[in-house]
Amino acid sequence: MADDIVFDLLHSEIINYALEQTKTTNGSKEVDLSVVEYIGFAAGYKIMERLTREWPRFKDELDTMKFICTDFWTCIYKKQIDNLRTNHQGVYVLQDNAFRFLTNFSNGHQYLEYAPRYVAYTCGLIRGGLANLCINSIVTAEVQSMPSCKFHIHVQRT
Amino acid sequence: MAVCVAVIGKDNSPLYIGGIGNDTSTDNELSRQWLVHTALDALEERLSTTNTSNTNSSANTARTDLRDLYLGLLYSTDTHKIYGYVTNTRIKLVLVTSSTSPSGSNIRDAEVRTALRRLHALYADAICNPFHLPGDQITSQKFDKQVKSLMLNNV
Repeated sequence: MADDIVFDLLHSEIINYALEQTKTTNGSKEVDLSVVEYIGFAAGYKIMERLTREWPRFKDELDTMKFICTDFWTCIYKKQIDNLRTNHQGVYVLQDNAFRFLTNFSNGHQYLEYAPRYVAYTCGLIRGGLANLCINSIVTAEVQSMPSCKFHIHVQRT
Repeated sequence: MAVCVAVIGKDNSPLYIGGIGNDTSTDNELSRQWLVHTALDALEERLSTTNTSNTNSSANTARTDLRDLYLGLLYSTDTHKIYGYVTNTRIKLVLVTSSTSPSGSNIRDAEVRTALRRLHALYADAICNPFHLPGDQITSQKFDKQVKSLMLNNV
């Protein structure tokens, strides 16, 4: 268990660092999470090459999303996505009922306003992973009550 | 024995082309590039048949074969044989063997498959290098050295 917590701690320190940086550069109270999102993007992009190495070629987009929900998620969060929904037109909703970065600090509405900070990295991670698989997307997250989290993936078709 | 190995990016730009200079027709950069780039059309053709066979259920056996990342022999010329491999991330790996040398002419398919799988593993390691930006050429000397030794061992 101790080796799992290292990643969680590093993640929360990266967020603290990014917040500290934006505070010193522009002095405003506005929170800039694009740095964290970018870190996630780069990590997702690189890890995808490794994870898909032993995997047969993906049939279609849905097949790729299923991979994200199962193997990709298990690799990073030690569990699978609890629910995947799609409208078959490029919108996918991934629901995690006990999101790893949120389970540690709240179980309800306390700290709800800070939740966006802790999902930015994961949004980047999904976007980066999909970008490497040649799927351009916009990933947003939605947190309604604490340990559960929904990720909306909008695939950008050209 | 492989005489030339290439890594081609998503947009068909060369990320890495390496060869061993003991073969007269592949000892310069230009002829290597030429050999590798002629393979790209064959690669695209294979990939497009993968996509169309999804709707065509009669090609069921062919489809299971095409879901493999290793695409096998793309084509052969008088002097060379060219093998292809496309990763899930659409990185194309090309391996060229010489059919004039005795070790290259009777190379088995399984050997090429393992060589390309190892090349894929090396590539996956290379892009985890923080000094490498995605889409740039691979300039890592470590990668170059490992690929060269892979080409030599693959006799």
